[in-house]
Amino acid sequence: MDTLLFGLLNGLIYGLLLFMVSAGLTLIFGMMGVLNFAHASFYMLGAYFAYTLQHALGFGPAVVAGALLAGGVGAVVERFFLRRVHHHGHAHELLLTFGLSFIVAETIKLVFGNFPVDYRVPPRLDGPAFAIGAQQYPLYRLLMGGVALLMFVLLYLLLTRTRVGIIVRSAIHKPRMVEALGHNVQLVFTGVFAVGAALAGLAGAVAGAFYTTSPNMAVETGVLVFVVVVVGGLGSLGGAMLASLLIGVMTSLAVSVDRSLADLFALVGAGAWADSVGGLLTLKLSSLAATLPFALMLIVLLLRPQGLLGEKN
Amino acid sequence: MMRTSTFLLLGASALLAAMPALLSAGLLNAAVQMLIAALFASAYGLLAGRAGMLSFGHAAYFGVGAFATVHAMNALNGAGLLPTPLLPLVGAGAGLAFGVVAGWFATQRSGTAFAMITLAIAELLHALAPQLKSLFGGESGISAMRMPAWGLSFGSTTQVYYLTLAWVLASLALLHFHTRTPAGRLTLGLRENAHRLRFLGYDVHRLGVSAFAISGLFSGIAGALQVLANEAANYVVFDAHVSASVVLNSYIGGVGVFLGPALGAALMSFFGYAVSDATQAWLLYQGVLFVIVMMFMPEGLVGLGATARHRVRVLGPARALPLLAAGMLAVLLLAGGTVFLVELLQRLCSQDYRALAATAGAWPPVTMFGRSWAAASAATWAWPAGLLLTGGALMAFARTRLLAREAQR
Repeated sequence: MDTLLFGLLNGLIYGLLLFMVSAGLTLIFGMMGVLNFAHASFYMLGAYFAYTLQHALGFGPAVVAGALLAGGVGAVVERFFLRRVHHHGHAHELLLTFGLSFIVAETIKLVFGNFPVDYRVPPRLDGPAFAIGAQQYPLYRLLMGGVALLMFVLLYLLLTRTRVGIIVRSAIHKPRMVEALGHNVQLVFTGVFAVGAALAGLAGAVAGAFYTTSPNMAVETGVLVFVVVVVGGLGSLGGAMLASLLIGVMTSLAVSVDRSLADLFALVGAGAWADSVGGLLTLKLSSLAATLPFALMLIVLLLRPQGLLGEKN
Repeated sequence: MMRTSTFLLLGASALLAAMPALLSAGLLNAAVQMLIAALFASAYGLLAGRAGMLSFGHAAYFGVGAFATVHAMNALNGAGLLPTPLLPLVGAGAGLAFGVVAGWFATQRSGTAFAMITLAIAELLHALAPQLKSLFGGESGISAMRMPAWGLSFGSTTQVYYLTLAWVLASLALLHFHTRTPAGRLTLGLRENAHRLRFLGYDVHRLGVSAFAISGLFSGIAGALQVLANEAANYVVFDAHVSASVVLNSYIGGVGVFLGPALGAALMSFFGYAVSDATQAWLLYQGVLFVIVMMFMPEGLVGLGATARHRVRVLGPARALPLLAAGMLAVLLLAGGTVFLVELLQRLCSQDYRALAATAGAWPPVTMFGRSWAAASAATWAWPAGLLLTGGALMAFARTRLLAREAQR
């Protein structure tokens, strides 16, 4: 029971982190039609910026600075790279961001080395929050969930309750019309891109201390985030939330399940046969946890190609 | 025109056939890898360039072809209907079969979602492969032996080279033939206007799957050839960087022209081989080159020649050539400055150097390009700064003059 509860909580918090990265991605996609391949690179940059600055600034300010710097890099990417190739079409933009993500990863390897760096949770945050039975729950996990939730509330209020939010939402819907009404849509694009990048950077700066900060973190998270936005429906913020939580909970629960397909077959008396077949049938679900999101994505595409909450195209 | 291209093609084939006499064993091995990369990139070019479907997970079809071949090698031992020279057929079959299945899923969507699905399929395999030890051999991979067949031992690099060359040339010819068939023409239509094709009564999904599967087929052959060359397969062929490099190579070469991806891949893998001992930042250079190509020459490197010819024709050789030469010099200066800077940073950021600097309490000199450079001296940093500034200024000058002269016309 404890394990289930902890697994559920871990999954929810991991899902919230995923949402923090995918929110920016899906917003940018909805607005500009560009799937930013380099989005997870901002997640990685946030972690590395915070790691570099933590000695000079202390942990908290370093996290904020990491997010802001990642946002700044995002603004530069939009203004000086993406806008220049915009007239070549979306595929070209996707390829450009793909190349940029490659450069970011290689530069990080060049500067920090091709191994995880020693970026850790500061000691005063590194304790248990509460305990159920014999198991203690780390405080920092709750903190990560808290930061993510706070960001969503702020983002939601910004988008729905402010003037800027109205302009952004209408620019997503009808950019030409908004431009005709005298708003600087280019600036809105750059702003949304920067905010999305900063959100990803914040997620990286916060999560990098808890998980590992290594040059591979962009690829690992990036692929999951793409799965999230496709499963949720490209451009749909609500869908991204749903898919993030679903994938977070699913993977974290699967890790603790020590069963395989063969056990399922055993229920109908074919267990021995399944054991003799081996391969996929005898693999434990726990070792398949990493593949579950991709399987989920293929199932969703099969049954509902536009994604869980996506609009039909 | 037709006669010159046929002549060029025959010349290139003769040159490729003469390679074993000209190259050392090490270089010949590199040539085998170049050929395989060229075939893989051409297969990718069919999908990305002609069909307009961006795949970010092409390592999957390459890897499936490779593993099918290695299992066939071990199971048949070169006997029966599949002697060593015909083994790539197994890779082709596996690539085709997997391409049909994966393509059926992936082509449900187009554009960005398509790219994401291909990525997810490749990652699915990548995550699954280490777990399935019996199929993919785990960490150590699976090894196999090239068995003698048809009176050939396949023991020497030369014989492997000719086997690879024959398969690559035949595959390229088939791929080229595909562009001439109605199916190949419709593939082009898929890129240009899928809606219209649907209105004309074609089954767009089936067309997409067919382009995908054919691309998978030739990727599978490339994977099989790699297994034949290495006599082993390991699950690292499913790694994201295999998919990434085929994308980079193809677009650096230029997907708009039939041989563009192949030339790009051959060039890139040659440089990768040539400089991999000299630098640790090769992948960074590859990425930078890719971004530059994407930003400034969307046609790829093969488009450069056409652009230069066009300029010469419009402006006349006397006025265009000096400016083009200036532009080339500027590119060399910029490249020199970038390489200098990257190599210097790479050395200054390395762990050894940091440990050294920490114990010495100062910045010790670094060795680079065969001489020693003082890390803290302004003279060292003036080199890349000077190269980049001169190159940038020269580039800006050549560009504005060219544009101004073109505007005069």
